Amino acid sequence: MSRVRINPELSRRHFLRAVGGAAVALPLLSSLRAAADGESFPKRLVLMYTPNGVISDAWWPQNITSETSWDLNTIHQPLAPFKNRLLFLNGVDLTVTNDGPGGLHQKGIGGLFTGQQLQSGDLFVDGCGQRAGWANGISIDQELAKTLAVGTPIKSLELGVRATENDVQGRIAYAGPGAPLPPMNDPSEVFQRLFSGFGQNTDQLAELRARRKSVLDTVQAQFKSVSARVSASDKQKLEAHMTLVRDLETRMAASGNGSAACVAPSVPVAVDATSEDDMPTIAGLHLDMLATAFACDLTRIASFQISTSLNHIRYPWLNSMGEGHALSHMGPSDDDARKELVSRQTWHSQMLANFLTRLSQIPEGSGTVLDNTLVLWGNEVSEGNTHSHQSIPFLMAGGGWYFRTGRSLQYSNNSHNDLLVSVLNAMGVPATTFGQPDLCGGPLSGLV
Amino acid sequence: MCKPDQHAVAPLSLLTRVQYDATISDLLGDNSQPSLSFPAENEVSGYNNNTEVHIANPLLVEQFMDAAEGIASRAVAANLATLAPCTGTSTTDQASCGASFVKSFGKRAFRRPLKDDEAQAFNTLFSGLNATRGYSAAVELTMQAILQSPQFLYRMDSERAPTPETGAVALDSYQLASRLSYFLTNSMPDSALFAAADAGTLSSAAEIETQARRLLETSRAKAMVRDFNQQWLMLDQLSGLARNPPDGMADVKGIGSDYRESLQQFLDQAFWEKGDLRSLFLSPTTFVNARLGSVLGLAAPANGFASVDNAPGRVGLLSQPGLMAMLAHSDQSGPVQRGVFVRQRILCLEVPPPPPGLNPVAPDPDPNLTTRERFDVHTASPNCSGCHKLIDGTGFGFENYDQLGRYRTVENGLPVDASGEMLMTGEPAVDGPYSGVAELSNRLALSPRVERCLSTNWYRYAMGRVETEADGCSLREVEQKFSASGGQFKELLVAVTLTDAFRYRPAISGDM
Repeated sequence: MSRVRINPELSRRHFLRAVGGAAVALPLLSSLRAAADGESFPKRLVLMYTPNGVISDAWWPQNITSETSWDLNTIHQPLAPFKNRLLFLNGVDLTVTNDGPGGLHQKGIGGLFTGQQLQSGDLFVDGCGQRAGWANGISIDQELAKTLAVGTPIKSLELGVRATENDVQGRIAYAGPGAPLPPMNDPSEVFQRLFSGFGQNTDQLAELRARRKSVLDTVQAQFKSVSARVSASDKQKLEAHMTLVRDLETRMAASGNGSAACVAPSVPVAVDATSEDDMPTIAGLHLDMLATAFACDLTRIASFQISTSLNHIRYPWLNSMGEGHALSHMGPSDDDARKELVSRQTWHSQMLANFLTRLSQIPEGSGTVLDNTLVLWGNEVSEGNTHSHQSIPFLMAGGGWYFRTGRSLQYSNNSHNDLLVSVLNAMGVPATTFGQPDLCGGPLSGLV
Repeated sequence: MCKPDQHAVAPLSLLTRVQYDATISDLLGDNSQPSLSFPAENEVSGYNNNTEVHIANPLLVEQFMDAAEGIASRAVAANLATLAPCTGTSTTDQASCGASFVKSFGKRAFRRPLKDDEAQAFNTLFSGLNATRGYSAAVELTMQAILQSPQFLYRMDSERAPTPETGAVALDSYQLASRLSYFLTNSMPDSALFAAADAGTLSSAAEIETQARRLLETSRAKAMVRDFNQQWLMLDQLSGLARNPPDGMADVKGIGSDYRESLQQFLDQAFWEKGDLRSLFLSPTTFVNARLGSVLGLAAPANGFASVDNAPGRVGLLSQPGLMAMLAHSDQSGPVQRGVFVRQRILCLEVPPPPPGLNPVAPDPDPNLTTRERFDVHTASPNCSGCHKLIDGTGFGFENYDQLGRYRTVENGLPVDASGEMLMTGEPAVDGPYSGVAELSNRLALSPRVERCLSTNWYRYAMGRVETEADGCSLREVEQKFSASGGQFKELLVAVTLTDAFRYRPAISGDM
């Protein structure tokens, strides 16, 4: 099914990152697109990460009589309006962590979306003296960006809420082996990047593109000539950098396809991205802007992480004053710790619910953006006190064009690499393996 | 030469945010700190200038473009006549003005004269733009291109010459000027360094030393020492510091920046005024502002910071309120954090990895035990004791400082037991039971291992990488000179600039 365009010139919104980092929009006669029945729309993927495991018996669905007959548990009550869009995947393990270097949190977070072990080496030493490098491969969001994000102004958005640990314990997205992508923690930077230049006209855009093209062409030529004068390993670095410059130039020509909801949000309030107290505000702003970025087709690929593994964060707005990682060690046996952890994890669910609500309010064709979005939510361990990598709390939301949703499925020691393969398939990539190939048996059964 | 067959590498290093901003400030007088929007660098062992992990990523490359556009636009709006003066109006006149701009600005931006092909590439860009968009836009866009080129964004200390190379290759004068300036000032070479590089005099050890000592007197060197201390002591942890105020105390939200400033002022004084390792560990000074004064119970001025000498319990770095508050839990002191800190950052002792196959999982703490008793669980459990005897033994001696860095001799109505034990440090004079931070600091102040550890940390910062075997000889030289000087910090830094690792690089093979 190809997209029906009555008049491409009218049905397009033009975006370009402008001076100071911005996307630029032209008004759209959106009614033209809304009328076009039978359109297919871009598919979007969001990877969501929360750390340090969950309280399992408050997390997994309860009263299960069949895969379609079950109740949401305490933690997921905020997601009740979306119950029929959810897929709980019990019994899927981070098998990839069974071997390879690194501590339990390190290899959990590194393998979660890459399906790969960590590189050996002693770049990063965890609290128990375990040593490792970065994850040894591309993450699934970036793999999908290769095909899905063609023609969008931003290849992918990495968003963090106080994700300020700048090593292997703090990174979930990788452009390739040893190439982690840093998250943006400050909503005002995200706003600046996405929306600050809305409103330039086509002539201004054309001029900006032409200027940037001449500058970036010269820059790339400089990278080429310098590369010849340095060592082999330095040359690799420069070539990787040059590829990113080229990608920047390619994306300049990209336009976003806007819906009626493609309206730049107002400038976000100033926050302190290092402050615990500001975390709810930051999470809300990030997810609102991400929803708008999807509506405007500025990007189709994103990741969203709340803090990092092994963090010491309190959640003062919930009156939860334990320190993240230490607290997770105490649940579920300590009643107070358990309560705190359940309230934190319920808040995580609430963030997802808010995001799904936003997406469900953005019309797209005869449905909404949520109909064309898949969220995969994972964690680097299943429970904080055991640090187990078995039965990771995996939850998918959306993806209804491919998965049969509204179900709670029970697997048995399936490798999560298969889940990643399923996600690739859902997004239109016909892969049979992802990450470490020997851990892949094809897509997870029973999902579609 | 240290070792004729083994040469320490000098990889390209991407400017850090601190370096980018200082460089833009020195290059154009633009103090807008464009890097505020850049993503944080990846870190290794606390250091954000590590060339192995501080590499380009899509967001950073995008931000480099945004920054270059903003910088060039401001520069041309404010200073076109100084940057690229031009009186003629013909195309030929303007091409010649453009070429002068490329030559002069390019040299300062690239920290070396432009090669012919480089000048030609930027002149071509300039002329094309001048023809279509006019003089000012041509200057602006050419500047953008220069500011996004690798010769600006990377410190190219190991760019090879056209002639074939073998063995160890001496850095040329411009490369040395860059190395000196980025190590000692986190910025581009100043005019005196450029002059020395132009004259080709930087090749001698004597001239390097003269320049190093001169740079150490600049204000940028002060900022550099703060940047080092921030990373060596991992002071990032003070950002957004969250501590539960005890009963009766006002909210301490945002106090992390006060602690950081207090600590940095202490470290400034230790480095610049007192100047040696002993003072670092034994100075009786604390710096407080009004907020810290009220938390710590010390007299403080209404505005700014003032020093307090000989306040109870304040002896040297390890007793500083900011450090103690950082190395703590939100509601209690942190013997484990403090033990790990002393062993790793001060003594360069690595925590030994747990036995293979063991999943180290901490037991549920019992709320009916005291801090000390609770943490004793670590040392009682056979799975944990190997590591934790070393760590907790070191950290228990800090029990006189609570989670706000306040000095205490009584906790919950009971006298504080501040006895600790140093184990397996490799130094008999450091090992053994001790009581309180003053006793420990007196041992550390005289410890050769501490001297070596600080040398190693400075070396990592200076080189932007973790040392390898090939650095052994250079690093030993630094340690010896530091020790021989009686632990003078400036001598340590000067010694780094005189090592072979700082002045030479391995040959780069291949055709050009």
